Amino acid sequence: MNDFSLYVARDSGLHKLHPLTKGIYVLFVLVAGFTLPGPWTSYFVVAFGILPLAAWGKVLGIHLRSVWRVTWPFALSVLLIQGLFWGHGEDLVSLGPLALKKEGVAFAFISIGRILLVMSSFILFSLTTRPDMLMISLKQAGFPGSIAYIFVTTLQIIPRFQSRAQTVLDAQRSRGLETEGNLLVRSRALVPLVVPLVLGSLVDVEERAIAIEARAFNSNHKETSVVEIPDSLLQKRIRAVLTAGAALLVVAGFAWRLLS
Amino acid sequence: MFDSIKKDFTTRTLVLIPVAIAINIAVGTLVIYLKLPVYLDSIGTVLVGAVAGPWAGALTGALANLIWGLFTPNVAPFFYVAAVIGLMAGFFGRRGVFQMESPRWLSVVIGILFFFTLAYFLTAFLNRQTDATGYTTYPTPGELLSRYSIVFLLAIIAGALVGWFFLRNGGYAGLAGLATGVVAAIISAPMAAYVFGGVTGAGTDLLVAAFRASGAGILSSVMAQGAVSDPFDKMTSYMIVWLILRALPARFRTF
Repeated sequence: MNDFSLYVARDSGLHKLHPLTKGIYVLFVLVAGFTLPGPWTSYFVVAFGILPLAAWGKVLGIHLRSVWRVTWPFALSVLLIQGLFWGHGEDLVSLGPLALKKEGVAFAFISIGRILLVMSSFILFSLTTRPDMLMISLKQAGFPGSIAYIFVTTLQIIPRFQSRAQTVLDAQRSRGLETEGNLLVRSRALVPLVVPLVLGSLVDVEERAIAIEARAFNSNHKETSVVEIPDSLLQKRIRAVLTAGAALLVVAGFAWRLLS
Repeated sequence: MFDSIKKDFTTRTLVLIPVAIAINIAVGTLVIYLKLPVYLDSIGTVLVGAVAGPWAGALTGALANLIWGLFTPNVAPFFYVAAVIGLMAGFFGRRGVFQMESPRWLSVVIGILFFFTLAYFLTAFLNRQTDATGYTTYPTPGELLSRYSIVFLLAIIAGALVGWFFLRNGGYAGLAGLATGVVAAIISAPMAAYVFGGVTGAGTDLLVAAFRASGAGILSSVMAQGAVSDPFDKMTSYMIVWLILRALPARFRTF
C-alpha cells in the first residue's frame, strides 16, 4: 500500500499509544496554548508538551526538521510585515527608511509561537500515528464508517492523482501546450490541464461505487477488524481528564477575557 | 432537514468525495507549479457541492483541510471556511447556477461590476483618514472617481475583457463564485489574524504588507487582502467546475 503520509515507523511507547489518546492530547495542548495568557505560553507548551514527547517517540530530529521546513516562511513573513509596518511605536533597528518597531516585533513573537504550536503538534501526531489506525480507532469509537472510508481512500489516491496530473501535464506539453512564460501564457494552460484531470477521475467514480457496493459497503452489520488497537484503562482515564481539562480551559479563558 | 442531509450521501457521493479531495490537493499543487497568483484548492469541494448538494459539499471541504493538515498543518485551522465554501456551492448548485447559461453581455456586466467594485474598495481603503479619536472617514465617491479616473477606466476595461473572454456563458457561476469568495474572505480573516499573525507565507502577503503600511489594523488588513484575492480565486474555481460539468455526460451532473 503506497500511502501518502508523514508516518515514520519506530518502536516507541508513543507509537503504541491509542490514536485517540494522542489526538485528544494534541487538542488539549492547542487549547492550552491558545487560552493561557502571556507571550511565552505557546513556546512553553511546545518546549514542555511537544518536544519531550517527540524525543520519547524517537522522532525528535525529523520532527524538528519538518516543523522548521513548514514554519520558517510564516515566521519570516510575520516578522517582516508586522515588524516593519506596525505604524507607530519605538524603533528597534532602523535601516534607511525602514525600521523594525518594538511593538511589531513583540506581536510577531507571539504569532510565531502560535504558528510553531499548531505546526509542531500536528506534525508530531502525523509522524507517530498510522492513518489507517487512526481511522479504525475512530470507527470503534462510534464515528460513521463512511468518514473512515473517505479518509483512508483519500490518502491512497493522492499519490496516484499526482502521477495522473504529471501524465496530463506531459501529454499536453507534447502537443505543444506552453506551461512556461508570462502570466497570460501560464493562465491559459490551466484549463487544458485541470479539465482532463478531473474528467478522467470522475469516470473512475462510477466503477469504484459499483465495486464497493458489491462488497457490502452499505451493510448495517457491525464489522470486525483484523487489526486490534491496544487500549488500556489508564489511557481511557487520561483521555477523560484531558477532555475535561480542555473544556475547563476554554470556559476559564472566556470568563477571564470577559472579566478583564 | 435531517432527511435532506441523508439524501446527499449516496454511495456514489461517498466515492466521489475522496476523489474531490485529491482534486483539491492535486490542482492546488499544479497551481503552485504554474506559479499563478491564486490557490484553486477548492475545485473538488465546489464540484461535490454542485453535483451532490450542500451537506456533501460541506463535509468535503472540512475533511479536505483536515486531511491535508496532516501534511501541511497550516491549512487545518481553516476547515470551517472550506466547509462553508462547499455549503454555498451546494446551495448555488440547487438553484441551478452550474447548469444555466448566461448571455455574454451579462458576463461582461458582471466582470465590469466586479472590477469596478474592487477598484473602488481598494482606493477608498487606501485613502481613508483616521482622526485622533479613532474615527475613520472615507473619501466621497465623487472625489475618488475624479482623482483615480484612469484606475477606474482600466478596471472597467479589464472587467469587460474578463467577462467576455473568461466568463463567457458562465456568468451566473462566476457571480456565485464571487459571492462565495467574499464570504470566505470575511470568515477566514479572524483565524488568519489570530493564529497566524495575518500571514500565509505566500505571495498574497505582499498585499497584507501594503495594507499594513497604509496604517490599517491587522484584522482589517487580512480581510482586505482576502477581499482582493478570494473572489478571484473562487470565481476561477466555479468557472472550472462549470466547464467540467458542461463536458460531462448528463448522468454525471446529479448524484
